[in-house]
Amino acid sequence: MAESSKKRRRTNTDDLPFKNKLKPDSTILQTLKDFSTSSSSSSSSSKTLTLQDLSLPFSCREVSDLSLSSVQSNIESLVLRIAHSILSGNGFAFDVPSRAATNQFYVPELDRIVLKDKSSLRPFANISTVRKSAITARILQLVHQLCIKGIHVTKRDLFYTDVKLFQDQIQSDTVLDDVSCMLGCTRSSLNVVAAEKGVVVGRLIFSDNGDMIDCTKMGMGGKAIPPNIDRVGDMQSDALFILLVEKDAAYMRLAEDRFYNRFPCIIVTAKGQPDVATRLFLKKMKMELNLPVLALVDSDPYGLKILSVYGCGSKNMSYDSANLTTPDIKWLGVRPSDLDKYKIPEQCRLPMTEQDIKTGKDMLEEDFVKKNPGWVEELTLMVKTKQKAEIQALSTFGFQYLSEVYLPLKLQQKDWL
Amino acid sequence: MDSSESPTETKKTKSKTPRKNKETVLKQKSPAEFFAENKNIAGFDNPGKSLYTTVRELVENSLDSAESISELPVVEITIEEINKSKFNSMIGLIDCERVDAELYDDYETEKAREKRLAKEARAQEIQAKNAALGKKVKETPASKGIRGRGEASFYRVICKDNGKGMPHDDIPNMFGRVLSGTKYGLKQTRGKFGLGAKMALIWSKMSTGLPIEISSSMRNQSYISFCRLDIDIHKNIPHVHVNEKRENKERWHGAEIQVVIEGNWTTYRSKILHYMRQMAVITPYAQFLFKFVSDAPEKNVTIRFSRRTDVMPPVPLETKHHPSSVDLLLIKRLIAETSKQNLLQFLQHEFVNISKSHAERLIGEMGPDFSPKMALKSLTPQQLVRIHQLFRQAKFDDPNGHCLSPAGEYNLRLGIIKELHPDMVATYSGSAQVFEGHPFIVEAGVSIGGKNVKQGLNIFRFANRIPLLFEQGADVVTRTALKRINWSSYKINQLQDKIGIFVSIVSTKIPFKGTGKEYIGDDITEIASAVKYSIQQCCIQLKSKIVKKMQAREQQERKRNLSKYIPDATGAVYNVLKDMAETQLHASKKFRYGDDDGELLRKVYENLITKETLSEKLAKHVEQVDYEMALEYATQSGVSEEPREAIYIQPLETENKIIDLHSPFFVFRMFY
Repeated sequence: MAESSKKRRRTNTDDLPFKNKLKPDSTILQTLKDFSTSSSSSSSSSKTLTLQDLSLPFSCREVSDLSLSSVQSNIESLVLRIAHSILSGNGFAFDVPSRAATNQFYVPELDRIVLKDKSSLRPFANISTVRKSAITARILQLVHQLCIKGIHVTKRDLFYTDVKLFQDQIQSDTVLDDVSCMLGCTRSSLNVVAAEKGVVVGRLIFSDNGDMIDCTKMGMGGKAIPPNIDRVGDMQSDALFILLVEKDAAYMRLAEDRFYNRFPCIIVTAKGQPDVATRLFLKKMKMELNLPVLALVDSDPYGLKILSVYGCGSKNMSYDSANLTTPDIKWLGVRPSDLDKYKIPEQCRLPMTEQDIKTGKDMLEEDFVKKNPGWVEELTLMVKTKQKAEIQALSTFGFQYLSEVYLPLKLQQKDWL
Repeated sequence: MDSSESPTETKKTKSKTPRKNKETVLKQKSPAEFFAENKNIAGFDNPGKSLYTTVRELVENSLDSAESISELPVVEITIEEINKSKFNSMIGLIDCERVDAELYDDYETEKAREKRLAKEARAQEIQAKNAALGKKVKETPASKGIRGRGEASFYRVICKDNGKGMPHDDIPNMFGRVLSGTKYGLKQTRGKFGLGAKMALIWSKMSTGLPIEISSSMRNQSYISFCRLDIDIHKNIPHVHVNEKRENKERWHGAEIQVVIEGNWTTYRSKILHYMRQMAVITPYAQFLFKFVSDAPEKNVTIRFSRRTDVMPPVPLETKHHPSSVDLLLIKRLIAETSKQNLLQFLQHEFVNISKSHAERLIGEMGPDFSPKMALKSLTPQQLVRIHQLFRQAKFDDPNGHCLSPAGEYNLRLGIIKELHPDMVATYSGSAQVFEGHPFIVEAGVSIGGKNVKQGLNIFRFANRIPLLFEQGADVVTRTALKRINWSSYKINQLQDKIGIFVSIVSTKIPFKGTGKEYIGDDITEIASAVKYSIQQCCIQLKSKIVKKMQAREQQERKRNLSKYIPDATGAVYNVLKDMAETQLHASKKFRYGDDDGELLRKVYENLITKETLSEKLAKHVEQVDYEMALEYATQSGVSEEPREAIYIQPLETENKIIDLHSPFFVFRMFY
């Protein structure tokens, strides 16, 4: 495989900038191997912390995977309680954990956001909560049905069962998260999944619902990441690292150039903001294969934001951050300092809008950025120069510059933060 | 008809001069001639606007006149349409029939007639078809006869007031001499240049050639002056036809002015009515009677804007100039007019905000060749420039607003309520601020709802208590309301709600933009921010009212909104229970539930508890909660009831025969 990629290289003898700096692939591979072993040994030596290990000054709410039957019995006991309450003439109310920003907390030791245990009452006989509590009851009933039948549906399916009540999908989705939070289980345990969004390609073999999948033989598009992670198992790989890509376009370039054959790796993208399935999948890969994760995102505040969602979770799903976050993701590129380092011409850089700058400044205040001095430096540079660039900006030197020069050179120099 | 004689003349001479290099003749123009040629400056752009401006100038003069003697104004305005033959007979012209039809502009050639008839026939056909299909047909406007240029309409405008009146001998000069007036000086007035009534006269002379008629009487004057005059435009002097004294039986005082002008009622009808309405808003202490009279009775209009209060704003005081607002010319004029002898006294007494010690310091600052005791007459032109420079650079206290006479929050509020009948209204009166040495006060009112108010923003602008109707787009008030107020943050829907915005600015000098004195520019930050602040203050007041109203509405709709979701909630709960009951039956051996729960599921299974049972119970609970909330709301809102508005009942003019009916709470006084 290494040979074939060399052939490919020989045919492309363009004078790409910085190409002369590249050492032979074998040297780069050696550095990567060293890095991979060192990182796996370091991570295996340190036991992953859990919430229980820390003595936090407040209690936190975490959910876990529950079996279908326990979800069912949880729902049933909740419904029985409500029925009694109604019959005794007291109406009813749900006690829903608050997922507001004030109830979130970043724990530096865990490097992720956790949910505190504040909750709010959602009584039926109140004009501001009547709608939500009716929707909550309806979602509970629908999930109960799924439990009895033992099938999976998508969020869209769920929405269409009672469009008149839900009005739009955002409302049913929000309540669904409330319900999983309330029942103390992950969203996948409710048997409700989101549509497939993420894709994976590269040196990975796993079983999906019993079928063995070889991700090197999935064609150019790669394998769609299964929406319910419990189907996935038996992961095997000879990759040296996992490459996380923000954009579909960059992912396609790497897949087509079979980048994973030149440098053994697994390439994953969620095409923008990552969905739950992709995050779960990445976490599972990281845990089972113990590989370092390198991220390739745009050089703008949103690229970093996406990185943060993979890394320490989103606020919306913080109740399940333990399962959704992948610690120790390295920021490979495209970083603000790369713009000058790789002499990306002015016409490929975009001026940041007011909103961009504001987001950037806000992010400088966030804990997950502050914990990494390198990131702070890069972000400060971005806000200062007021310039952003997408991964595609590298195409200015040729469409294959990304896979031929930029990434190999980055890997050779171990240029990640 | 529109273009007067003189401009065409000047044009001709201009075009001729380059051709035949005749020696140029130095001509002089009287002010009257200048304004006759540039009548758009004074708002006489076209016949329609001229009619509007004439009404406006006469009404404003009447108000000024009545207010100057602290009399509650009563103004009657009548516009009388005069048709062509009547007009001809008025000027002594015999009606002429058209003999040579082709001579006229509106002559219809044979071809044109065919075309028109064909078009009309087609239109009728379409209409008939539509009618047959049962479509609602728009009323096609009756084909208007082509109105030729010669087809002018004439109007007699009569304005009668109960004001001060005019001294008998001054009347000719007051009307027959442009740029002569009683309103010069630094004072907040409606008119400023002494143009209004004279421009109406010039316009009448240009369009009809008929003189103006004035009746006037002053208080306690035994006679009425009657004067018929026109103006000699070239000499700018009055040309008096009649000036006589007549008997004053009713002891009337005031003025009545009659002028016949060309106008256009059809296109300016709404503007004139708007003007009257807005005037009634800003002067609720005045009574207006507006009448339009024509031969066609269906076109006649009579509107009475009745008095709503007898509280009048104080008469604006004449004030002295602020040092930072004067220019070189003005300084020279003040020196020529002053009675003071030396520089110190001059500075101290002819300007506001300069005390004696301050004047001494200023003189010291002027330089070594100035001294406090130096005679004013000895000042050289260079020294005057130095004084002017210092006035520009030195810091002076801002003038206070005592010389201003704003409408007052009370009057503004009454005016809005009286004319718009809004659901809600809030008013705010700002404190005096300063722009270029002239004090100004901004007052604002914001209303929601009301009759004859369209959805969205309705802007009413007033400057020195005159409504401004034209060139609304560029005005500071419009811009502020549209761009700088975040209506939604005050729970006001900018597009759906009927919002009335009233802003009144008074000042000794309103910084009008453009020639027509019709709008105030948006580039003066002092005024723009004062306007914004005032509107915001109104909105803040409104917000709490709106929130209260929304609460009240929520109060009424609470039960309905809550009940709406009962079927959804109970349906969901019941279905889960039913599923549970059924599974329990099938796996009856494993008894998973406690006693209560088991009992409940059994009842569900045996249909003793159904969806309806749950719904009934929940509905009862909702009712209970609703009752409690309503009770709570009633106790809360009962405390903070809105203050009641005083009502005003016009006193009847009768002898003071009264009976007082006493009750423990009020006295009812009956006049009979």
